[in-house]
Amino acid sequence: MTQSEPIFRMEGVTHRYGDLTALDDIDFVAEDNSYIALLGPSGSGKTCLLRVIAGFEKPDKGRIWFQGRDITDLPAHERGIGFVFQNFALFPHLTIFENVAFGLRNGAVKVSETDIADRVTDAIDMVGLTGLEDRSPDQISGGQKQRVALARSLVLQPKLVLLDEPLGALDANLRERMQIELRAIRERLDVTFLHVTGSETEALAMGDKVAVLDQGQIVQYGTPDAIYDSPAISDVALFLNRFNLFNGELQGDTFVGPFGTVPVTAAQPNKSDVYAIRYDRTRIFSADAVDLPGPALPVRYLASEYLGSSIVFLFETKDRKTVEVDHHLSLGEPRDLTVGENYTLSWDPAQAIVFGKETAR
Amino acid sequence: MSAATSNRDKSNTFRLLVPGVVWMILFLVAPIMMILYVSFWTQTTFSINSTLTLDSWKNFFASEAYVGALWTTIRLWLIVLTLTLLIGYPAALFVGLLVKSKTLSTILLVLCVIPFWTSFLIRVLAWRPMLGKEGAINIILQKLGLIDSPIEVLLFSELSVVIGMTQIYVVFMVGPIAFMLGRIDRNIIEAARDLGAGFGRIFWKIVLPLSLPGVVVGAIFVSVMVLGEFATSGALSGRKVNLLGNIIVTQVGSLKWAMASVVGVILTILLGIVVAGFLRIVDLKREI
Repeated sequence: MTQSEPIFRMEGVTHRYGDLTALDDIDFVAEDNSYIALLGPSGSGKTCLLRVIAGFEKPDKGRIWFQGRDITDLPAHERGIGFVFQNFALFPHLTIFENVAFGLRNGAVKVSETDIADRVTDAIDMVGLTGLEDRSPDQISGGQKQRVALARSLVLQPKLVLLDEPLGALDANLRERMQIELRAIRERLDVTFLHVTGSETEALAMGDKVAVLDQGQIVQYGTPDAIYDSPAISDVALFLNRFNLFNGELQGDTFVGPFGTVPVTAAQPNKSDVYAIRYDRTRIFSADAVDLPGPALPVRYLASEYLGSSIVFLFETKDRKTVEVDHHLSLGEPRDLTVGENYTLSWDPAQAIVFGKETAR
Repeated sequence: MSAATSNRDKSNTFRLLVPGVVWMILFLVAPIMMILYVSFWTQTTFSINSTLTLDSWKNFFASEAYVGALWTTIRLWLIVLTLTLLIGYPAALFVGLLVKSKTLSTILLVLCVIPFWTSFLIRVLAWRPMLGKEGAINIILQKLGLIDSPIEVLLFSELSVVIGMTQIYVVFMVGPIAFMLGRIDRNIIEAARDLGAGFGRIFWKIVLPLSLPGVVVGAIFVSVMVLGEFATSGALSGRKVNLLGNIIVTQVGSLKWAMASVVGVILTILLGIVVAGFLRIVDLKREI
């Protein structure tokens, strides 16, 4: 990440719907020319955050700056921030060309017909839809609609584009292709993308930086590997869907959990005591193994799931909690497991992350 | 096998069509053909016989009163259509688009329909105590000191017919437009805002074109009903305003079937032209 001027900044932004606090005192800074993924479970307020930034909703409290200017009270059509809707929201009665040209024709700045033709043609070319200019939106596929929606925003050369779950309406194949393409298109232009998603893989794969939103608050903001390697709180680890999380009790230098009492060297402040170990750091041993690398968690084997490059094994602890082990096949063939048999899971305690109500030492 | 299936499909389609087709032939096509036929019959003062003649047609176009009624019908239709659109569109815009809650917009639409709980004639006649020389409006205006003597043109004039028809038919304009407006995806309007379009631009470029099918359907409803009107003009004009419908009523009343048929045919042709014209504006099959 190169350090650069923030293009966008919000301070203390709060938004309520009746009794529900959708955004709770949010401070957020977006760097110029970067790809930022905003990850949050449904109901975390991520769509609301985008709508406040775009100007469709007015925050109850707080200020928003864009390109050094306070835009909190500016109506949506004067903000110059692009918005790509999840359902694309193309104008059904206009051709692809006219959809893309809409902002140029109807914005505050008058653009000449020849400029419109040039810029629209360029934008359509950039998203790879040349030749479809005269089609109507109901004559093109979902992926193509997505591109039209993107071209329609980008043709106005905004410095910030908000994408509301832009890949949510596409099938899996197309989603992966569009991920790569969205990044490529952004890199060609001097623009910041703020991409909202509920998918942790999408967020980690696409963002130069990832912001994690939970219950109306940004709980962590950093590079994907920083978030992946050291989630700030146990909820972040939970959304990432890569960690086995165990509730227990942090007592000074030890953590008491379903795997017994283990020594702890450091703990992150959190609202409850949680012990986290990544799926791919968890290893499988036979029930009577003695040379374990760390804690011993007795489990029963349930099932496995073949994912091509790795196999996910599902186990169950005594108190019926499901535990996952992700075995990457480059590490060699996994051992043969028998469904219903007991095994022991263990891991290197140095790779565990401990969250505690006590402040970190 | 597949040929047999498609044959069965065809015969099923046919069987499903039969009742409708029979009904339409018996009660629509046959009567219209009959009217057309009768319009060429020979009418004497007290009887009619089926000797074919053009006399009734010639009489219609030779009579200033009849041709005048044709023009009055067209003029009143255009005025009422314009008024229902001007009053109905903003109302539909409010009900269908600006009211965010679906429940509230349904309640508002139901409120629009409440006047229909009383009979058509009562609704028309209710305008008399409202508009009359000693009616509600004149009394209120006089009490307020805004006028010295009652406004007489309010009742038994073309104005009262226009007021009455507009009130009765405006809801047929509001309904279809509100329906089309309600179907517009809110994201589309927000997308237009986000692309820099102000309120006016969004209205002219997005909202109006997308609601046009509703306008056309509403206009067809209103046109069909206004062009065939006779009761409102009969009750509120004091016989000063004669529409084609009124002429049919009087001709039928005096058993002048041939002339009534001529007017009926002319009215049907006029309606056909108007409806066909509206349908050219929007391809309804594509839109709905």
